[in-house]
Amino acid sequence: MKKIEELNKSKLPIIKIDKSLGKYRDKVLFKEKVEKANEALKSVGLPKVLQKSKA
Amino acid sequence: MLLPRYELKSDESLTVFEFVSVGRKGEIPKIVQYSETNLKDFYNLGFGDKDLQTGEVDDTVISDNGDGQKVLATVAATVYAFTDKYLEAWIYATGGTKSRTRLYRIGLTNNLDEIIEDFELYGQREGEWQEFVRGVEYEAFLVRRRS
Repeated sequence: MKKIEELNKSKLPIIKIDKSLGKYRDKVLFKEKVEKANEALKSVGLPKVLQKSKA
Repeated sequence: MLLPRYELKSDESLTVFEFVSVGRKGEIPKIVQYSETNLKDFYNLGFGDKDLQTGEVDDTVISDNGDGQKVLATVAATVYAFTDKYLEAWIYATGGTKSRTRLYRIGLTNNLDEIIEDFELYGQREGEWQEFVRGVEYEAFLVRRRS
């Protein structure tokens, strides 16, 4: 795991740590989107490259 | 070339990000959340406006704040941050509506050369995942950091 300081370089954004956002950690804010993602991943499956590597 | 983007806040898990869009409609707080799906290492990218009074988020509202490119660049920056911590993560993203998905596709297309340096990128089309190419419409996108 990288430190936050290391993340604030190059293409990586500068991130200010705000512990108050931890209140969202165990809460799904976009439930409908996650349900749709689950449906799509179930019906469409994985990319072929991944299917091969998992076979 | 790095596009202008907003300053990001996150908690230590780097799964929830917050930033403030500043434009013609004023200041609009935005939330980006990476949520686990039923598949291991597959996450959904959720993104929407935060209502400061209720704390609720809305991913259907059209902000029309005149800073769409900067907002998308900021969301893209969270993908870098998230996948830098969760190296094996696949990220699923869709706009929810055709027009919003199209906006995402345009954003990906405009920055495709830079994106594919760092990410594998697929589009969902005709019931399968296809390698993303310019000029093709997709229903959703799947991205993973190159190892």
